[in-house]
Amino acid sequence: MRVRQLPFNYAFRNLGRSGVRLAASLVGSSLVVLLILASGGFVRGMQLTLTQDAGMQDNVMILGAGSEEGVERSQIDASVDGIAAASIPGLKERAGVIYASPEIHAALPVRESAESDEDLSSVMRGVREVALLVHPEVEIVEGHLPRAGRDELMLGELAATRLGLPEDRVAIGQTLYFDDRDWTIVGRFSAPNTVMNAEIWLPLTDLQIATNREASLSCVIVTLDRATFADADLFAKSRLDLELTAIRESDYYASIAAFYGPIRIMIIVTAVLIASGGVLGGLNTMYAAFAARVREVGMLQALGFTRLAIVMNLTEESVFAAACGALIGATLGLVLLDGVAVRFSMGAFALAIDAPVLLAGILGGLVVGFIGAIPPAVRCLRLPITEALKSH
Amino acid sequence: MTLIECRGLTREYRKGDNIIRPLDDLDLDVPRGDFLALMGPSGSGKTTLLNLIAGIDSPTRGSLVIDGTNLANLSRNKLAAWRSENVGYVFQLYNLVPVLTAYENVELPLLLHPLDRRQRHERVRTALERVGISDRSDHFPRQLSGGQEQRVAIARAIVTDPAILVADEPTGDLDKPSAHAVMSLLKELNEELGKTIIMVTHDPKTTDWATRTLHLDKGRLAETGASLTHEQEALA
Ligand SMILES: Nc1ncnc2c1ncn2[C@@H]1O[C@H](COP(=O)(O)OP(=O)(O)O)[C@@H](O)[C@H]1O
Ligand SMILES: [Mg+2]
Repeated sequence: MRVRQLPFNYAFRNLGRSGVRLAASLVGSSLVVLLILASGGFVRGMQLTLTQDAGMQDNVMILGAGSEEGVERSQIDASVDGIAAASIPGLKERAGVIYASPEIHAALPVRESAESDEDLSSVMRGVREVALLVHPEVEIVEGHLPRAGRDELMLGELAATRLGLPEDRVAIGQTLYFDDRDWTIVGRFSAPNTVMNAEIWLPLTDLQIATNREASLSCVIVTLDRATFADADLFAKSRLDLELTAIRESDYYASIAAFYGPIRIMIIVTAVLIASGGVLGGLNTMYAAFAARVREVGMLQALGFTRLAIVMNLTEESVFAAACGALIGATLGLVLLDGVAVRFSMGAFALAIDAPVLLAGILGGLVVGFIGAIPPAVRCLRLPITEALKSH
Repeated sequence: MTLIECRGLTREYRKGDNIIRPLDDLDLDVPRGDFLALMGPSGSGKTTLLNLIAGIDSPTRGSLVIDGTNLANLSRNKLAAWRSENVGYVFQLYNLVPVLTAYENVELPLLLHPLDRRQRHERVRTALERVGISDRSDHFPRQLSGGQEQRVAIARAIVTDPAILVADEPTGDLDKPSAHAVMSLLKELNEELGKTIIMVTHDPKTTDWATRTLHLDKGRLAETGASLTHEQEALA
């Protein structure tokens, strides 16, 4: 038997019965959506940063054996880049330059100036020009690559967040202080959704001197062309004297991401808990709203409308309010949260509110409206019609 | 020709160890086209009887056969469908939906019938004309007087063209002129459209409009003494 439904128009107009309740529903569901967007954007942003793009799958890091967990602790001979370039056949090559980037990765405290006594945490990467080839995500958006021996730096888009400094404090021409002298910022680069975006880059030799490790590197990053990972791996294993290990760059960051897995779960659990609070709030407003309509619902049943038809109509009303709130929340989220930089122990990254996160947020808002409506609607219908008609 | 036949009709409520029996073994026949007024002290079971006949309550015992259908045997959903075909209910407090216009309130029961918009429009217009309130069809209930609200409610009760109208103290909340208008409207529906009407009332005056009056007391039919008195009054 087909259920004869109550018109949506009726549900829609019922929303106007109480401005306060409508406002509560809108605010409630938009807050839930915002919350899901914030936590989802956080998790997603972290994930995007630590999950490298397909292009990066071709990069292999050659590190000191036993340093797979942290490139900052790795120390290899300064000659490895030349040896690797010569020994691994089939690396990418352009205009005679082989894609093998010798790098130093160091977590060095930085100060604003000599007078400041506050250490700011940063991740520095000492590079040669070839780094721009091996890391094509890096795009210099302002200024130029720092030149060796001139105390120059180049900062990623999120480096200010990472340092905890305002954006204008890291503009071109500003200085930062470490290793007993001022360094001038001469370049800004962008490397969206990578850890590099929060780094400070400087010439390899400068960082070698600043860290007192002139004869060593942290790693060499090579880009495969015809070569496979097995070739790089074979090279690392065969040169016992150099004590090397090879790991895909994507695997390296995946293992770091795995390390942050529990934090992600914690964030999601927290978000779910707070969203449940939203559901309880929704339940509350709906109980009040529907309780005031018991007699009317009795009348509708007396006319011959089934309980199912009435529950559906009451649910439509709540879900529609929630949907409007969700749209408000989603709009606010996109405007206020997307791309906002967050600082985190391993660096900094931007909240990423992409389609899946947005969808999850809006669905969450709708679910709040749905779950918030069912129990009050059912309770409203539990009374026998004769009782409902007597209520005031 | 009997339209409504009650035999041993009983409604009980269990309150802990107590059994409350608002309707006690009642026999009643209502012929088609009757305009029956039900009187009786408060709590005598008038509304209970009305609700059983309207199909919004089910008897504990006994049979209630309306136009050949024993309501006691219908499932909840069958009963709901039966209501939408056969009964129009007029409430004391009108029970119009505040967010719908007079027109939309009257249209509401038609949504349960397989009619298109044009057919519904035709019926709603006829019903609103019948109750003399066509000029208020775009008004919301709060913009109407009590008497006008009740007339809209009556239009809603007749729009599906049911054989039976039940009315529970339909003038209980109205001033004299409005009550008069509502009663004469019910009389009209009874005489011109042949509706069988069962009306609960507290006001002896309104029984003048009915073809007969029955008195309930403690869930049973009392002897029709009061109505006799009334007829005598009318004769005098
Ligand atoms: N749901 C219920 N539970 C218990 N008692 C009820 C219920 N509904 C009605 N009653 C009792 O049945 C009796 C008759 O009620 P009712 O038919 O409403 O009387 P009235 O003649 O005033 O319309 C009253 O004593 C009332 O308290
Ligand atoms: Mg009553």
